[in-house]
Amino acid sequence: MADNSSNKSLFTVSSLQGGYGDIQILNGVSIDVPEKNIVTIVGPNGAGKSTILKAVYGIAKVTSGSVTLHKDGKDIDVLATKPHNLSKIGVGYVPQIENVFPALSIEENLEVGYVDFANKSLDEVRDEIYQSYPDLKKRHRDRAGTLSGGQRQMLAMARALMSSPRILLLDEPSAGLAPALVDQLFDELVKINQTGVTILMVEQNARRALAISDYGYVLDMGRNRHEGVGSALVDDPEIVGIYLGKK
Amino acid sequence: MSDFIQYFFNGLVVGCIFAIAAVGISLLYSVLRLVNFAAGDFLTLGAFITYFLSVTLELNFLLSVVVSMIAGMAISWFLELVLWRNLRRNKAGTLALFLVATGVALMLRPIIQFIFGTETRKFNIDILKTYDFLGARIPQTQLLVLIFASASILTIALFIAKARIGKDMRAYANNPGLASVSGINVDRVVLATWLISGALGSLAGVFQGLVQGQFNNAMGESLLLSFFAAVVLGTIGDAYGALAGGLLLGLIMELSQLSIFFGGVPSNYKPVVAFATLVLVLLFKPEGIFGYRARKV
Ligand SMILES: Nc1ncnc2c1ncn2[C@@H]1O[C@H](COP(=O)(O)OP(=O)(O)OP(=O)(O)O)[C@@H](O)[C@H]1O
Ligand SMILES: [Mg+2]
Repeated sequence: MADNSSNKSLFTVSSLQGGYGDIQILNGVSIDVPEKNIVTIVGPNGAGKSTILKAVYGIAKVTSGSVTLHKDGKDIDVLATKPHNLSKIGVGYVPQIENVFPALSIEENLEVGYVDFANKSLDEVRDEIYQSYPDLKKRHRDRAGTLSGGQRQMLAMARALMSSPRILLLDEPSAGLAPALVDQLFDELVKINQTGVTILMVEQNARRALAISDYGYVLDMGRNRHEGVGSALVDDPEIVGIYLGKK
Repeated sequence: MSDFIQYFFNGLVVGCIFAIAAVGISLLYSVLRLVNFAAGDFLTLGAFITYFLSVTLELNFLLSVVVSMIAGMAISWFLELVLWRNLRRNKAGTLALFLVATGVALMLRPIIQFIFGTETRKFNIDILKTYDFLGARIPQTQLLVLIFASASILTIALFIAKARIGKDMRAYANNPGLASVSGINVDRVVLATWLISGALGSLAGVFQGLVQGQFNNAMGESLLLSFFAAVVLGTIGDAYGALAGGLLLGLIMELSQLSIFFGGVPSNYKPVVAFATLVLVLLFKPEGIFGYRARKV
C-alpha cells in the first residue's frame, strides 16, 4: 500500500457499457483510481474484468459511458484517444496473455515500448529499467520467446514502463506464476507504485492483490458489486465467501 | 574452375534479385497476411517505367530508377487505400486476400501491356562490355547490378534490424494485438510496409531487366514462383530469411548447371531445381531454414 496516496482522481471509468459485437458484457461499470494508488478489480471468471481494460484500448466496443484521465489539471477523453497514443498520454497496459513479442530480443521488446515524449532518451530509460531488472539485462540479446513465464511477465511489465506511464493497467499480472514468483511480483508492483506510478490491476489472486491495494472493486456480471479499502474487502466475510474463496 | 566462378557469380547476381523481391513479399505477408501474387507484375512495371523515362524520355538512368521506385510506392499505397484496407476492415481472410492479389496481378498484366506494348525492350546501357576474371566472363552490367543489389540488401537488412520503424514492423508482425496496444502506430507500420515493398519491386524489376539484357511484359510473372520458393525456404514471414533464401536459391539454381550435377541441369529446368530444393528443405525443416519456435509457457 502506497503511503504517498492522495485522494485526487487520476483515472475514472464511469458507467461503462459495452462488449463484443452484439453481446453486452459491461453493464455500467464505474471505477475510480486516485493518483498514486493501487486499485484492484476482482471478481469471478467472465465478470468482464479484462473487458474493461480492452474497452479502454478499443478492443471491446463501448456503447455508453466514459473513461477519463485527469492529468495536470486537464481531463483527457481516453476513449477518443487512438490506442497507440495512449502511451503518449501516460497510460501503459500489460494484457493478460501474449504480452511480449517472442521473436524480438528482450532489448527490442523494450525499445518498441519506448515513447519519445519524456525528456529522457531511450538509453536513459532503458538503463533505469535494466537497473531494476538485472535479469533482463543479462539476457538482453536473447529472444523474448526463450524466456520462462515469470521472466516474460517481468519483461511485459518492463516494456510498459518504457513509456514512463502515469498509470499502469495490469491484467492478471500473477497469472501462471509459481507461488514464489507471485510474492516477488507483488513486491515488484509495490516498488513500481512507490516510484509514483498509479496502478489499476485485475487479479485472480484476490487476497494477495487486495492486501497491497489501497482500494478494491468486486465486479460481477459487468456490474460493481462491492468496493472498499483493500484490507477491508479481504476481511468482509460475505465477500470472502462468495468471491475470494476459502483460505 | 572457371565454370564454377562463372555460375557462382551468376548465382550471386540472380540471388540478390530474388532476395530483394522476396523480402518485399515476406514483409507484406508478415505484416498484412497478404500473399502478394501481384509481386511479379510490380517488377515488370518498374522495369517498364524506368525504360519509358530513360529511353523514351531520355532522362538520366539513375533518376529514372528512383522515379520508378517512387511510382511503385505510389501504386502500392493507392491499392492499399482503395482495396486492401477495406478488405481487412471487412475481416477478409488470407485466402480471400490471396485471391484478390491474384486478381490484381491479372489486371495489372493487360494494363502494362496496353500502356507499354508487348515488344521486347532494352535499357540504353552498354551490356556488351565484359571483364575477364579467372576465365569467367563477367559482364559490366551484371557486376554493377551485383554491387548495387548487395548495397540495397544491406540497407534493407540494417533498416529492418535497427530503424525504429523496422522494429515496429517486426513487432507488429510478431504480435499484432500487443503492438496496437503498446504504443506502436499501426497505420505507420502498414504504410512503411507498402512503401518498402513497392520500392523494392521496382528496383528488382530494373535489376532483372538489366541482367536479362532485354525484357517484355512477361518478365515478372515468370519469376514469381521462384520468389515464393525463396520466401518459404527462408521461413515464411522472416525478412532476413527471405534475403538469405533468395540468395541461396539463386546460387543453387545457377550452380546446378555445373557439369558435376548430372552433367549439368539444363537452364530451362532451373525452376524445377528451385522447387526440388524447397521440397527437400521443407521435408527436413518444415519451418524453413530460419524457423524458430517460441518456448511454450
Ligand atoms: N473477443 C471476445 N468476443 C466475444 N466474447 C468475449 C470476447 N472476449 C471475452 N468475451 C466474453 O466476455 C465475457 C467477459 O470476459 P472477460 O475476459 O472480460 O472476463 P474476465 O472477468 O477477465 O475473466 P477471467 O478471470 O477469466 O479473465 C466472457 O463471457 C467472455 O467469454
Ligand atoms: Mg480476464
